[in-house]
Amino acid sequence: MGLKSRSVMVVGAGIAGIQASLDLAEMGLDVHLVEESATIGGRMPQLDKTFPTNDCSMCILAPKMSECARHPNITIHIKSSVTKVTGNPGDFTAKMVEHAKYVDPVKCVSCGLCEEKCPVKVDDEFDMGLRKRGAISRSFLQSIPSEYTIDKDRCLYLTKGVCRICEKVCPAGAINFEDKDIEIELKVGAVILASGIDAFDPIGFGHFGYKRYPNVVTSLDFERMLSASGPFGGHVLRASDHAEPKSIAFIQCVGSRDESIGHNYCSSACCMFAIKEAIIAKEHMKGLESSIFYMDIRAFGKDFDKYYEKAKGQYGVDFIKSKVSEIRELENGNLSLRHVLENGKIEFAEFDMVVLSVGLQPRKNSVRLAKNLDIKLNEFGFCRSDTFEPLKTSREGIYVCGAMNGPRDIPESVTTASGAVADAVKYLRLDRQEIAEKKIPEKDIVGDRPRIGTFVCHCGINIAGVVDVKDVAEYAKDLPNVEHSEDLMYACSQDCMNTIKQRIEEHGLNRIVIAACTPRTHEPLFREMVSEAGLNPYLFEMANIRDQCSWAHMNEPELATEKSKDLMNMGVAKARELAPLERLPIEINPKALVIGAGLAGMTAAEALADAGHEVFLVEKEAELGGNLRNIYYAFDKDPQELLAEKIKNVSKNKLIHLFKSTKIEKIDGYVGNFVTTLKTEKDEQTLEHGIVIIATGAEEHKTKEYLYGESSRIITQVEFEEMLHNGNFPTKKLKNVVMIQCVGSREEDRMYCSRVCCTKAVKNALTLKKKFPNINTYIAYRDIRTYGFREKYYTELRDLGTMFVHYDLDKKPEITLVDEWDPDSQVNVTIFDPIMDKEVEVKTDLLVLATAIDAKKENIELGKMLKVPLNADGMFMEAHVKLRPVDFATDGVFVAGLAHTPKDIDESMAQAKAAASRALTFLNKKAILAEGTICEVNDSRCTGCGYCEQICAYNAIEVDLEKEIAIVNEALCKGCGACVASCRCAALDLRGFSNEQLFSAFDALEMTNILNN
Amino acid sequence: MTEILKKGVLLEAKSGIQASILQFFQDAIEKKLFDAVMLPMKVPSGDSFAWIMIKEQDILKNAQPLAPIMPVNAAKALKRYTRKGKGKYKIAALMKPCEIRATIELTKLNQVHLEDVTLFSYDCVGALPMQDYINNPKIGDEKFSKLLADKNWNSEDVKPVCKICDKFSLSASDLHFALNDQGLILLSNSEKGEKLLTDLNLKAETDLTKWQNYIEEQKAIKLKNREETFEIIKGMVEGFENLTETFANCIGCHNCSSSCPICYCRQCYFDSSVSKPNSDIVMMRAEDRGAVSLPLDRIMFHTGRMAHMSLSCVSCGLCSDACPVNIPVAKIFSYVASQTQKTFEYSAGASVGDVLPMKEYRLDELGELGELVKSAEVQEGNHE
Repeated sequence: MGLKSRSVMVVGAGIAGIQASLDLAEMGLDVHLVEESATIGGRMPQLDKTFPTNDCSMCILAPKMSECARHPNITIHIKSSVTKVTGNPGDFTAKMVEHAKYVDPVKCVSCGLCEEKCPVKVDDEFDMGLRKRGAISRSFLQSIPSEYTIDKDRCLYLTKGVCRICEKVCPAGAINFEDKDIEIELKVGAVILASGIDAFDPIGFGHFGYKRYPNVVTSLDFERMLSASGPFGGHVLRASDHAEPKSIAFIQCVGSRDESIGHNYCSSACCMFAIKEAIIAKEHMKGLESSIFYMDIRAFGKDFDKYYEKAKGQYGVDFIKSKVSEIRELENGNLSLRHVLENGKIEFAEFDMVVLSVGLQPRKNSVRLAKNLDIKLNEFGFCRSDTFEPLKTSREGIYVCGAMNGPRDIPESVTTASGAVADAVKYLRLDRQEIAEKKIPEKDIVGDRPRIGTFVCHCGINIAGVVDVKDVAEYAKDLPNVEHSEDLMYACSQDCMNTIKQRIEEHGLNRIVIAACTPRTHEPLFREMVSEAGLNPYLFEMANIRDQCSWAHMNEPELATEKSKDLMNMGVAKARELAPLERLPIEINPKALVIGAGLAGMTAAEALADAGHEVFLVEKEAELGGNLRNIYYAFDKDPQELLAEKIKNVSKNKLIHLFKSTKIEKIDGYVGNFVTTLKTEKDEQTLEHGIVIIATGAEEHKTKEYLYGESSRIITQVEFEEMLHNGNFPTKKLKNVVMIQCVGSREEDRMYCSRVCCTKAVKNALTLKKKFPNINTYIAYRDIRTYGFREKYYTELRDLGTMFVHYDLDKKPEITLVDEWDPDSQVNVTIFDPIMDKEVEVKTDLLVLATAIDAKKENIELGKMLKVPLNADGMFMEAHVKLRPVDFATDGVFVAGLAHTPKDIDESMAQAKAAASRALTFLNKKAILAEGTICEVNDSRCTGCGYCEQICAYNAIEVDLEKEIAIVNEALCKGCGACVASCRCAALDLRGFSNEQLFSAFDALEMTNILNN
Repeated sequence: MTEILKKGVLLEAKSGIQASILQFFQDAIEKKLFDAVMLPMKVPSGDSFAWIMIKEQDILKNAQPLAPIMPVNAAKALKRYTRKGKGKYKIAALMKPCEIRATIELTKLNQVHLEDVTLFSYDCVGALPMQDYINNPKIGDEKFSKLLADKNWNSEDVKPVCKICDKFSLSASDLHFALNDQGLILLSNSEKGEKLLTDLNLKAETDLTKWQNYIEEQKAIKLKNREETFEIIKGMVEGFENLTETFANCIGCHNCSSSCPICYCRQCYFDSSVSKPNSDIVMMRAEDRGAVSLPLDRIMFHTGRMAHMSLSCVSCGLCSDACPVNIPVAKIFSYVASQTQKTFEYSAGASVGDVLPMKEYRLDELGELGELVKSAEVQEGNHE
């Protein structure tokens, strides 16, 4: 393998690139995150909410963005593009150009004066042209880096040589027209590509009238309209007359599933975001009617079908299975949709507004990037990867994730990102990291009189435009124990932070209060600064006078100033009580436990062993392979070869300890320090390990429907696949084969899509058709969900003459045996065919049922042992459906494969690698630090009532029944404070937010004085 | 729960309700269905009652199942017995519905364990104010006997909080003694109760409709009283001025919390050193306001206690009995509890299965707050 480098390059800083960078950085590697635009974040910041939880997109992304920006191991290169990668895996030389920004990022304080005064006004790309921006601008408020940059193609000075207004108004002297593009050369061991996708531009679809009819918008335009921080402040208005629409139509598959434009693939995410937009729009506008025109609703992800059902039931979104052929504008600006129903009838429908659910397509620059990196693209222009190596490009050492190699939603992008990291570390040098020594020794201030320094931030005009900042700083001078107070233009700018450090020295300050923006974004930065000045980082307090004062009371400047003083007063009062806090080290055992040796378990174990860690791979069956043992076809690939290879790899790898026919008896401990008891028929043994990966899989649903079990001709897809492989059909005369989809799935009791069955049916039917072209095949389906590139096989099968008959839940196919007394009887299938608008009957030789995927019953027991939750369907529930798809709230436990939710081979492998990668972020550390702000129990007050135990989301509290007191596991506590709030006996206290500290702050606000009347 | 109960067991009550209930427990002990019974018994001085755990028939015959007063909430008594979890003995405990509710609340909070316990409740006519009874036990006993005999649920003689109690009948007990014209009907209200009836070979054959109708009528009257009273209480405690005035004569004895069955803390926060600031701070507060009343934390204590226990308050009224300066604490807490419990759609002590409010998160909870958040989001959006 040759050389191994400690550096790695990630190309593209959307959610996938960010996740990959964070994982790599946490493993101690030096990451170069290269982004073409001026900010990291990618597409997610443009989205209003995310399905299926309706979380605010920006709110969940922003913490990851700032983590990325703050991480000492990550170097962000914005406005940069890779030009060439030479050399070999482990020892690449990457060349890139960092384009001129014309603004000195060190000097720029992001006050925004330059953009305000910039005479150029162009359509803002971030807001989809619904707003104007200047030639100097930044993408959005929370952009990272936050500094402004100049668009050289739009700047008057750079194009025509006149203007330079920004230079004149910039208070920081940050404008630098002399800035030049620079070439950078990096030595990296591996490259991860995450350059994402573009949305399909429907401008070429004249029949939909996009840009011609003002009230036809794309789903991304609509996303910006819905966003509270968008150009319309969350009010959806029609462009034609600025009226609120009363009805909206969503048109699916615009630019997807369309062979005429070469897009013979499904964009995978649009059904869900249309449903989401329809729901959110209904929430915004009471009485709004929203209708979705679709071919198939592809709600195939985890909990997606429940969301779809909610849209239909609770929200009354109208779903119309119909193809829109043309849109015409009416005189009042309304739009008339000509659409063709299933039975061929043509209808017209009128709407106030139309949203085109545009598909995903390769980035414009993907061909250039592929050329520069010498990687191959697939037939649709996406990066090429293999089903059994889903994260590898055609070039060894270069990996791909996110939507770059296929349309993908957010959680799958995050999963593949972590997964690609697990692949990439093969060529990277991993050393287990020590806890970093504190650079500056900490002063001992215990027992010293509080000497408080207060600093009030102008934040340009952001705060000072409303609040009298100088007055607040002056006011703070007279507060008890305040030794120094001053106002600063930008407290977070490098020079201001240097000033603060200097003041700490000059005045012997031992506690710092900064009145500025929100601790959510800035507390970590300021804590770091305080600790650089030799103080314990917890001797710092923030007063949020931006959100709480200048924003909330922008029209009442005097009151805003008064409130700022109150907040400052409270901050000082709390600071007086602050005490230094320690973060306790938790040692990490470098070994791993993987439960389940199916495809996911074996893949995860292999990835961990490749990274140099010992793995205990436990399988309850006598054989390895799980469900993969029953899969014989994967279009052009042979799953049995994959199975044999995986078994060989895990068996011969010395770092992997295999335990077959072994059960998990007990798991104790916590991250870094798990102790597990294994049990076989013969004996028991205990293992010690640092992390756990759950890869217990799932099982085929045993159906009682459709006379299953009453004739040898009625079989499941899994059984059919084996017959196809072995040729042992129950009859020699196969003429008709009928398949029924969604057997057990998407119904009450199992309100989820089993995801793989449509593809499996298509795959098996194709295999059958190719072997025996004369056999008639029929597939009865509810929605065909061949997402992503699977669509092309669906098209192929249709072209081969397979009949697809759509049925609804209330009109399920009816089955009778031709001869009730014959155990090998042929089967009669009666089904209503909506295309022919009548019932049809088929006498079939084989009836193949696509039975659902069920969660394993053992999940319940395992979940209890590991203290991790299951969802209503019995599948393991990850920490966050969007951004933490393989983690749990409980540190050190991860999930992969079917135990998480039904998924295909490539997806299971990607997720297994992702789980391994997330595990490596722990295993590659000798120890981690627990939180400083954690809760503690006052034993003499605690009654052991257990309220806190049940509330704690991290399972960090347990009641000792003997002693009748709650005990906090300091390694697991995240300091959220929920337990403290719940405790009726005031027996719990949160370090850094203790009752004393908070009461002291309330006292300052004279609240307790009032109550003490 | 009332809907599913159709039939009950008619118990003979010729020598009175008290005697009949006592006889029931004597039989149960005799048949070894229980090892002991927890019942009230008159203290030797004759002016109060105490909870006793009785095994011996000789002593049991002197117990008085339905006591005219409630010196200690039965939940608190039961907590002392079951605090450490499952034991060796099967016991029966007879209590008023409010005591059952307190027991259920404490069970959810790990303070009471019901594995060994069969809970009995009865239609409660209310309890007499402690002070009235102690002053003249004889008159008290007469009044109470008359109330029972008349099945009068709207007497002026009972505690103020009892007058406005609408949960005086069937509660989350295993078995319930219903008082009706014919005397006494025993209802099973749980699987445990059902089993006991079977073990005792008792058949539920008496129709309950008449009793149920009567109870509903009484409930309606009480609910009306309750609304009127709450209207008055609201005026007494809403707003800071009113609150301070109402609690002005509080002497800070904390009897209300000592007697409260829900105040289960080992040490009250307000009795701890944290709430006793040093002279500097007291003086600082005094300087800020011109003066400060001592001892400190009068209102803070009551509002703090409300915050801690009102979600679990069962309106048993012990706090008022315990208050030496006649602040209508019970009615005030009952009112506040009605409001906080309504907010969380929770009814303290209604069922062991109900989840304590803070333990669950519902997407649709606190609707009005959700609207506020939404409008705030829109505003914030405008700023950005």
